Amino acid sequence: MSAKHEAVTHAHPELSFLRKYIFSTDHKVIGIQFLISGLIFLLIGGGLALVFRIQLAWPYSEIPLLGRWFWAGPAGGRMPPETYNMLFSMHATIMIFFVIIPLLTGAFGNFTIPLMIGAPDMAFPRLNMMSYWFMWPAFAIILASFFVEGGAAGQGWTSYPTLASATMPAGEGLQSPAAPNSGLGQIFWLLALIFVGISSMAGSVNYITTVVNMRAPGMTMFRMPMTIWAMFITAILQAMALPVLTVALILQLLDKTLNTTFFLPPGGLPFGNWTTGPGGGQTLLWQHLFWFYSHPAVYIMILPAMGMVSDIIATFSRKPLFGYKPMVYAIAGIAGLGFIVWGHHMFMSGMDPRLGTGFMIATIMIALPSAVKVFNWLGTTWQANIHFSTAMLNALAFVSMFIIGGLSGIFMAATPVDIAIHDTYFIVAHIHYVLFMSSIFGIFAAIHYWYPKMFGRRMNEFWGKVHFALTFIFANGVFFPMHIFGIGLAPRRYYNHLEYDFLTHLQPLNVFMTISALLLGVAQVIFLVNFFGSLFSRRVEERNPWHSNTLEWTAPSPPPHGNFETTPVVYRGPYEYASPDSAEDYLPQTATPNGQPHPTGAPVHAH
Amino acid sequence: MKWWSLLFAVVILVEVVFVLLAPLVGWGLPPNYASYGSEIDNLFHLILALTGIVFILTEAILIYNMYRFARSDGRRSQYTHGHHRLEIIWTAVPAVILLFIAFAQVGAWERVKYKSRMPPADQVFEVSARQFEWRVRYPSAERMDDPKLVETFAREAQENKKQVDDVHRVNEIHVWKGGQVRVYLKTRDVLHSFFLPHLRIKQDAVPGKTIPVWFDTAGPEAEANFIYDPSSRTWKETKPLELACAELCGWGHYKMRGKLFIHESKEDFIRWLKHAAAEQNATKD
Repeated sequence: MSAKHEAVTHAHPELSFLRKYIFSTDHKVIGIQFLISGLIFLLIGGGLALVFRIQLAWPYSEIPLLGRWFWAGPAGGRMPPETYNMLFSMHATIMIFFVIIPLLTGAFGNFTIPLMIGAPDMAFPRLNMMSYWFMWPAFAIILASFFVEGGAAGQGWTSYPTLASATMPAGEGLQSPAAPNSGLGQIFWLLALIFVGISSMAGSVNYITTVVNMRAPGMTMFRMPMTIWAMFITAILQAMALPVLTVALILQLLDKTLNTTFFLPPGGLPFGNWTTGPGGGQTLLWQHLFWFYSHPAVYIMILPAMGMVSDIIATFSRKPLFGYKPMVYAIAGIAGLGFIVWGHHMFMSGMDPRLGTGFMIATIMIALPSAVKVFNWLGTTWQANIHFSTAMLNALAFVSMFIIGGLSGIFMAATPVDIAIHDTYFIVAHIHYVLFMSSIFGIFAAIHYWYPKMFGRRMNEFWGKVHFALTFIFANGVFFPMHIFGIGLAPRRYYNHLEYDFLTHLQPLNVFMTISALLLGVAQVIFLVNFFGSLFSRRVEERNPWHSNTLEWTAPSPPPHGNFETTPVVYRGPYEYASPDSAEDYLPQTATPNGQPHPTGAPVHAH
Repeated sequence: MKWWSLLFAVVILVEVVFVLLAPLVGWGLPPNYASYGSEIDNLFHLILALTGIVFILTEAILIYNMYRFARSDGRRSQYTHGHHRLEIIWTAVPAVILLFIAFAQVGAWERVKYKSRMPPADQVFEVSARQFEWRVRYPSAERMDDPKLVETFAREAQENKKQVDDVHRVNEIHVWKGGQVRVYLKTRDVLHSFFLPHLRIKQDAVPGKTIPVWFDTAGPEAEANFIYDPSSRTWKETKPLELACAELCGWGHYKMRGKLFIHESKEDFIRWLKHAAAEQNATKD
């Protein structure tokens, strides 16, 4: 044993600070890097939302503090409408491309995959390091875009042409005749997303290879925890869909810089004193390319959370996950169907309505695997022995809120109903129930759950629960009334709903949502203090604080470079809780079956 | 700590009550004036009812489990990995319900949006969107009698042709109660979306395309909101109805607001059209 230990330390000599924490090839460090930068961007993205929520509740009011800094002078401390467009566009862009995807796949994909399959690291550690460092040009570009002429992009996170793609005639500069923030800001936006895309692409290739090739002895595919299944299928989705987005981004970038006309229809478009050059392209082409990626991306932003939540619920229910294989098939089903439903974003787009019928039926059927997952989570908590840790509470909130987000999707999928509620607040409510109320609660659950393994310390449970309760209440206060606002047919992306007679009576909802949003923002301080403060708390050397079965809990906390002292040998699936074969209420995947000798263990691969 | 179930129960309960009470304080769908509108609203309520039942059932089970199966020392969870028959039931039953929901939509969708299913139109006009207004081109009153008007007008819209006697209005949609309307929708610059909330119609305008849109004002609750007063020879708006843009089109997206005027009859509309043409000719000189 001690000889093995030496071999391990020999393979991983003490590294300099720079190589260990900054330019690290260790999947755990890279995961934590993604986690920290994701949390910082979560603050930025959330902050942007709070600013524009003030305008929505109290139109044309002076914005406290920021108004005096940014919109002094003729604006009188009030937010101009193009700034409002910029704020909601950047809120969505940052939350999707800089927070949720990097947190779910970058942070937790990286951290969990090698540890949970019993591998010493990713298949391609350097590629892994590259995938994180490709995020940095994206960080720099997206933050710099706030300071370019015209401000950051304000064409929505969807950046539909021709508003986003229109350019000045050749030789007249890079500004846009269509909108002030559609010039340099939009070009920066495109560049930043191309870098994010390369990062995700490198990550997904790595995850797929690692899961296929590097599983520990005995870790068959159907002994993998749900987290790994979800990460694996998500990586496949990403690898297949991302190239299409990257191509679309490059096409729009060419339209914007080299005056190509991929998205510009024949004949020039007049904007005030300017007319764009004559085109020959198709405006709708962008929407097809964009949604061919971005609809699967919606699943990229939820499947990993579903996987992690499944593991957390099983652990704290002290009960085997109900219907493991149906759960795996459901994820695969969501991913498969996810590729043939992108047209449901385009029911009103001018696409042939006959196509809409097909997309509708595929879209409504995608609710089926989602329903199967919910029923199996309910089955897991049935006859269980539920431990209400902070991680578990957040995971249960995920289930409870995903039910709302899943069901509300059916309304938009139904084409005739979509005629009324398309592009209203109903869709805004829906995506926030999926992305905030589900994915973010999943992320909170995962942070509380794996924190002891990441840092060898624990987050404070009391403050974790206070944060959970407040977030649960206020987030429902923000996002639930959006359904009602949407049923009143209030369009989204409006600077001021009071311009419309048919919407004025709904304004109290806007005020209520904004107050809830501000309180929700304040409640996150508790989380930040708990997260960063706990880094300085007393070290807990415990390997398996939650008495969980999966492999990462057999490694030291935090695991050293190389993860395991000896390659773990897997004897069973990950959900043997309350098994009659064990006196305890759990039975780790590595525990040797009764009557078999303890394995000597194979040495960790040198790499 | 079974009381955590209470937090979930209260939040879910408040939300259910909120959804039920909202229409009572007027926070529901706006009134509907279109013949197909009640079909859309009924489908909405059908989905609301079905998803509502599923929502209450699943949340109730989750909250019950949180209460009933909260940690108690000495108890052991049931050791089970699943239940084959249950999986089949809870896959097959939702599949049937979802297929029912999906196929229940097809008819209404075809009737409202399929070009081949659009009924013969009584009225036709062209809407050309631009940042940030709606330009509307009506054929003159004389042409309204032409039985081939819709076809010729569609061709004109497609080929960007205009007639000298066309009547142009900005941000004003004029129709009459009970009329079948065909709109040829275009945009000059960026994407816009033609959205009449009270008529439950929405269609994006796409650069380079001319898209036919059908709607009517023949719903049972439809009422005129633009009334001609013969004594003063003026029109009076009795209730504001609006046209909104539902696709982000730039900084002025939120104020790209048009008005919908429903005349009492075709005669009233023709009278207004002649009046508008006269107004237009007066300013030309």
